[in-house]
Amino acid sequence: MNIIPTIGMETHVELKTNSKMFCRCYVLDTDLPNESLCPTCLGLPGSLPAPNKKAIEFITLLALSTNCSITNEGMFHRKNYFYPDLPKNYQISQFDLPVGTEGSLEIVVDGEFETVEIERVHMEEDTGKSTHIGSGRIDSATSTHLDFNRAGIPLVEVVTKPLIKSSKEAVAYIEELRQLVIDLNISEGKLEKGNLRFDANISVAYEGDKELGTKVEIKNMNSLKSLEKAIEYEISRQTKMLKSKENIIQETRHWDEKKEVTSSMRSKEGSADYRYFSDPDIPNMILSEDFVNTIKATIPVLPSEKRKVFMDSGLSIEDSNNLGKSSNWIGDFYIQVSEITKDSKASFNFITGELQGQLRKLELLSLPNWVTAKNLSEIIILVNNDKISFTSAKEILTKLIEEKLEPEEYAVSNNLIQENDIDEIGKIVLEVIDSNEEVIIRISDGEDKLIGFLVGQIIKLSKGKVNPSVAKELLLKEINS
Amino acid sequence: MTDKIDIKNVAKLAALKLNEDEQQQLEKDLSMIIEHFAALSEMDLPDDKISIHPLGMSLNLAEDIASKSLTHEEALRNAPDSKDGQFVVPPSLD
Amino acid sequence: MENHKLSISKINKLFKDKELKPSELYDEVFERAASTESIIHGHLTLFQEENIQKALESNTRYEKGEHLGPLDGIPIAIKDNINISGHVTSCSSKMLANYVSPYDATVITKLKKEGVLFTGKTNLDEFAMGSSTENSAFGPTKNPWDPSRVPGGSSGGSAAVVSAGSAIASLGSDTGGSIRQPASFCGVVGFKPTYGTVSRYGLIAFASSLDQIGPITNNVEDAKLIFNSISGHDPKDATSLIATKTEQPNLNKAKIGIIKELMEDGISEDAKEEVYKVAKLMEAEGHEIVEVSLPLTKMSISIYYLIAPAECSANLSRFDGVRYGARVSGNTSSEMMELTRAEGFGPEVKKRILLGTYALSAGYYDAYYGQALKARAMMKKEFTDIYKQVDYVISPTTPSDPFKFGEKSDNQLEMYMSDLCTIPANLVGMPAISIPTGLSSQGLPLSVQIMSPANTDNTLLDFSQTLQSLVSFIDKPILNRTEK
Ligand SMILES: [Mg+2]
Ligand SMILES: [Zn+2]
Repeated sequence: MNIIPTIGMETHVELKTNSKMFCRCYVLDTDLPNESLCPTCLGLPGSLPAPNKKAIEFITLLALSTNCSITNEGMFHRKNYFYPDLPKNYQISQFDLPVGTEGSLEIVVDGEFETVEIERVHMEEDTGKSTHIGSGRIDSATSTHLDFNRAGIPLVEVVTKPLIKSSKEAVAYIEELRQLVIDLNISEGKLEKGNLRFDANISVAYEGDKELGTKVEIKNMNSLKSLEKAIEYEISRQTKMLKSKENIIQETRHWDEKKEVTSSMRSKEGSADYRYFSDPDIPNMILSEDFVNTIKATIPVLPSEKRKVFMDSGLSIEDSNNLGKSSNWIGDFYIQVSEITKDSKASFNFITGELQGQLRKLELLSLPNWVTAKNLSEIIILVNNDKISFTSAKEILTKLIEEKLEPEEYAVSNNLIQENDIDEIGKIVLEVIDSNEEVIIRISDGEDKLIGFLVGQIIKLSKGKVNPSVAKELLLKEINS
Repeated sequence: MTDKIDIKNVAKLAALKLNEDEQQQLEKDLSMIIEHFAALSEMDLPDDKISIHPLGMSLNLAEDIASKSLTHEEALRNAPDSKDGQFVVPPSLD
Repeated sequence: MENHKLSISKINKLFKDKELKPSELYDEVFERAASTESIIHGHLTLFQEENIQKALESNTRYEKGEHLGPLDGIPIAIKDNINISGHVTSCSSKMLANYVSPYDATVITKLKKEGVLFTGKTNLDEFAMGSSTENSAFGPTKNPWDPSRVPGGSSGGSAAVVSAGSAIASLGSDTGGSIRQPASFCGVVGFKPTYGTVSRYGLIAFASSLDQIGPITNNVEDAKLIFNSISGHDPKDATSLIATKTEQPNLNKAKIGIIKELMEDGISEDAKEEVYKVAKLMEAEGHEIVEVSLPLTKMSISIYYLIAPAECSANLSRFDGVRYGARVSGNTSSEMMELTRAEGFGPEVKKRILLGTYALSAGYYDAYYGQALKARAMMKKEFTDIYKQVDYVISPTTPSDPFKFGEKSDNQLEMYMSDLCTIPANLVGMPAISIPTGLSSQGLPLSVQIMSPANTDNTLLDFSQTLQSLVSFIDKPILNRTEK
């Protein structure tokens, strides 16, 4: 019988508000510790929370964009546990009345659409940052240093249903969510900065089993590579255990980046009892229909909608998905270009390959204003019509980024137009055959790779004006006749 | 209702280290109070939506306008232990 | 000098008429403190030195006719669970014995703007948990009427200093009667405003949905003055009300309900008699007196002792030795926290933290905390219905006159019962005032409590002023008597 894995994801998304969730301290990006604090985020006695309107607008935007139902009368709860990086020793979070419930997110896995079901989207506050001082290993630390700058930064927690089937799907889900929060302009979305941090709940069971296996939680990853490897590792670990009828313990495990294994985290005796109760410092939060409609009106073009537009232009799901991950203007530029060239694949390849590559090399964030859809399309059309070689196209593009020019004019005046006249090319082909008798014999003996050498000779002789594919075709015809 | 209080577990949840005497005394005191709750526990009460604000007011959200509050020195002034601008505690293990 | 027993408006008039200087009153109050504090221990700290300059500045303002308002130059004491920047806020706990607050509570900011002089911080039951001020880590406060008796609590210090004259007025906090009960025991006025009218920002929380700051004063007029200067919306407190309704004017003919359930077992004859006495006086003035029944008030103690400890169990989690306050070292941070909390908190605080933790823990939430929330909602309904029939409800403030030290400290439930009459106002969120009306057979003060619907604070205060003028309460704590 097959063993199949089931994965649920919990993702914390750091919002890019000016101030923190429950106080008006700056959300700072600094290495200086304990610089942005007030009585509230430091948990001083007598301080109170004042929830941030912008954060609520942001989470509503995300909940609506993931097709969630919005809870009209929500609440904030206290989640009680003692930990030094948690200033009040309770986290203000949401429990049974989160902002959004029962949503979904379309993702692309291996060029196919899949849907990830979202269970809930809720608002909470971040904790401070602990640094364990000592030998570097957490269990032999001599002390822990605490910086509370991060404490109180608004986090949206997005929880999926445990219906994800592979590490690939989990990675695609995080990529989609990341793109979504960037397009919604509610988070920086930088994984390396921890703007998105994810936990994966993984279990395995025999196919057809009614119940899920015992779930194991892998905590706090922030790179896609770790996520993929950790899930793979955990699936194989649990699969082996299931096969050999070992008991899988419900626990929290940690992904060891260096050893590439998951290991059990010291777990407290018994299961956690967070004693959730509604925070008496925060009245019930009403998200009125008006409020929700106002937010709805600000939803930008979503990644799934962008994909749809690109697919309608003729691109594959995969290419559409990839193009959606570029800046919006690239996508827009692509659409204009592909409408002129009528060749979506070539336009996609040239823009995402050549154009973006050159811009990256030059560290340019946008196009010079003389590079238009029209003159870029002209280059692509020249290639498509075999008028210039791809090498020439790259050269023209480089020049175009430097200065204003007309691609076709430039190609003509710089002798880049290819010879497509069969008679003319035929003469050169014969000339090359005549002067390479020895090579021709070797080719007839089966040394096929020498054909390329002869094509090279032909192009050289024509000073690069001969279309290589035409040259090759004629050459083979001559040799075989 | 005659639930017995598991004083050790409750003290653990509340992060309170109790000695034997305290445990015994508190278990006795708390059991007496909990017994007093029986009448309330057994009442049949309607399951209406609860508002945590006594007057049922709803939340007013604050504008996202950041401002500087405590200086670094003020934030650390009451710290029992600190180093390099950070609060210092014994190692936290999990 | 007897200026310290004058009403604030009279003092203000003397200041304006240049018959008295703020600095002179200030000296008088500290002289009172010098002669009374060693007996009653109402203040934990006195700010005598640091405010001399401020008193002189107030003098100058009055000389120039530029005083800031009726509270300019008035010495007011502050309960030591309200933060004043640069001062220790101890909550009468070892945990915060050396904790210096870096910020002002909103009420302090407001009073500072009015030129108030703070006499110091007053004693309380640790973290405001108690009804006798016996639970202070720094020793109890004694009742100025009889130092062998408790001043009530938890704002025992704030009530005692006003009664003893070492402050003109004080601020207390009231979670289940902590302003009204000690005010009653000390023979002064105590007012708990509508929940949300006074900002809680900077008040160290006991039970957030019940806590409210209010004044303790010599008379109702002063209470109104202080209430109006400390109230108002505060964006730093999300539970703070935006605007109150337009209030009713003081009624010539009001309908007053005596709460039947608060005139039964457990209430002393003396205390009941005060209510009947007051009812008669009011009837003679043309008001109508009826008996009303609010059955759930009988459940008040149970509801309160589930909700308040549940909230406090989380509110007091922040005292862990990490960022401020006392610390007992340990090998790991969790051991450090557990030892710090074991050492820093007194027995009553521990008891309530554990009770609340238990009531919220897995498997018990629904039977206890959840049930208490439902009962609280029902109780609100009961009061809403009663206020359709009557304008005010009255009851004794306390079941009896002040008890002796140690008398109830061994019987926790009896101690808890001393808040029976005051708790409903906190659970419902409505305003309530305690007004001294007479003396018990032992010659100790007794009070009557009047309550009205939420957001009718000024109406209630005006009505109480009328009532106050009807009773001839003679303020004679023993400390005042021996002086003569
Ligand atoms: Mg979370
Ligand atoms: Zn802050």
